[in-house]
Amino acid sequence: MPSTPRHDPAPSPSLSAVGRALPAHYASQEQLIAALRDLWATKHFNLERLEDLHRNVQVGGRHLALPLEEYPALATFQQRNDAWIRVATELSETVARQALERAGLTPKDVDHVFFVTVTGIATPSVDARLVNRMGFRDDVKRTPIFGLGCVAGAAGLARASDYLRAFPKQTALLIATELCSLTLQREDLSIPNIIASGLFGDGAACVVLRGAEAQATGPRVVGSRSVFYPDTERVMGWDVVDTGFKVVLSAKVPQLVKEHIRGNVDGFLAEHGLTRKDVRHWVAHTGGPKVLEGFESALELEPGALERSWKSLKQVGNLSSASVLFVLAETLEEAGAQPGDWGVVMAMGPGFCAEMVLVRW
Amino acid sequence: MADIVTEAMAEIRRIAREELEFEGAVEPAHDLLRDLHLDSLGLTVLAVGLENRFRVMLSEEDAQGVRTVDDLARLVAARVAAAKPDVGAHP
Repeated sequence: MPSTPRHDPAPSPSLSAVGRALPAHYASQEQLIAALRDLWATKHFNLERLEDLHRNVQVGGRHLALPLEEYPALATFQQRNDAWIRVATELSETVARQALERAGLTPKDVDHVFFVTVTGIATPSVDARLVNRMGFRDDVKRTPIFGLGCVAGAAGLARASDYLRAFPKQTALLIATELCSLTLQREDLSIPNIIASGLFGDGAACVVLRGAEAQATGPRVVGSRSVFYPDTERVMGWDVVDTGFKVVLSAKVPQLVKEHIRGNVDGFLAEHGLTRKDVRHWVAHTGGPKVLEGFESALELEPGALERSWKSLKQVGNLSSASVLFVLAETLEEAGAQPGDWGVVMAMGPGFCAEMVLVRW
Repeated sequence: MADIVTEAMAEIRRIAREELEFEGAVEPAHDLLRDLHLDSLGLTVLAVGLENRFRVMLSEEDAQGVRTVDDLARLVAARVAAAKPDVGAHP
């Protein structure tokens, strides 16, 4: 273990503000089960088992990009992706404007936009469409990132912070927009897809990050650590098929959390001269009940340490990359954090991999 | 009954290969957890596949006595036998 931190904490960027938004169309879990039940019955015999799978994820309901009744008409990848581009652009603009307003900034103050998603594709990318709609400067730098999946909320914070260490006077936006409902393959009646249709919801979040030399308040991103787990490509991801993105989901996810996250977190904290006892705020991606239980047991967290993650999971489901940023927003908005407090933002995603971000108030 | 056990074995092999991406051999004596490395999701996929193919329901209680591939095939056969109309079974 290195005796000194690998990252110089001096030019740490700050997390100035977070914006977040959910699409207007809400469906309770029971409404979604009722809507999917007839479809399941075309292949499956024991529908009660499938309903239990949907209820076991402990999600109360989801916000959807479109009204529930419009989904059956989405038959092709083009139809799904066209809807994705339209709604993702609108939702991204909403959260970007909200976050900038909270930070007291305008689009002209932004030097770099990082846009992460795994639920749709667009070229020009959504961030480019926002330049036109919102009036960013014509020298704004853009980094659209596709494919990191659920880890992209934490990884996006880390990459934007890396950038701001090199350009400490600048301001970056991280926008995470995920419309998981538009990836649902109705004709895929596999169990992983049925579980995914019970767990994942739609939403977007935007974080304003400012370099160390910008005049900014908010907790500082002191360091980050990426962890890649070799030979785990089939644990999570997409099989890209003619109709869009078909989910790959293995029950090994909670197992990987239990096996690795403790050693990963301890090693990361040790680089900064810290232990788990020094961390007051845990901001965990809302992967699902078993993932959150895995975090709690592996990290020996106090009861209630992940309360915000549990609450978010129950209210809106797993929003992929946006989820951890929703939990971050809740953490920042609560008055509980004191100057000097340490926090860890953590998420896992396809690769399989994890990203940890160390934050100090 | 023996025919259904054989059919269930074949279906378990198909599900393991096609849906669970399991590349090794599947033998009756194989332990579902230890040898086939099935996790909770894998077990659910297997149970749902068998329920669909044989139009039976396998409950949580059923699973208590099931350890091997053969146990599972025999459970399916017993559920199929129980579900059949009882024509001629009684005088």
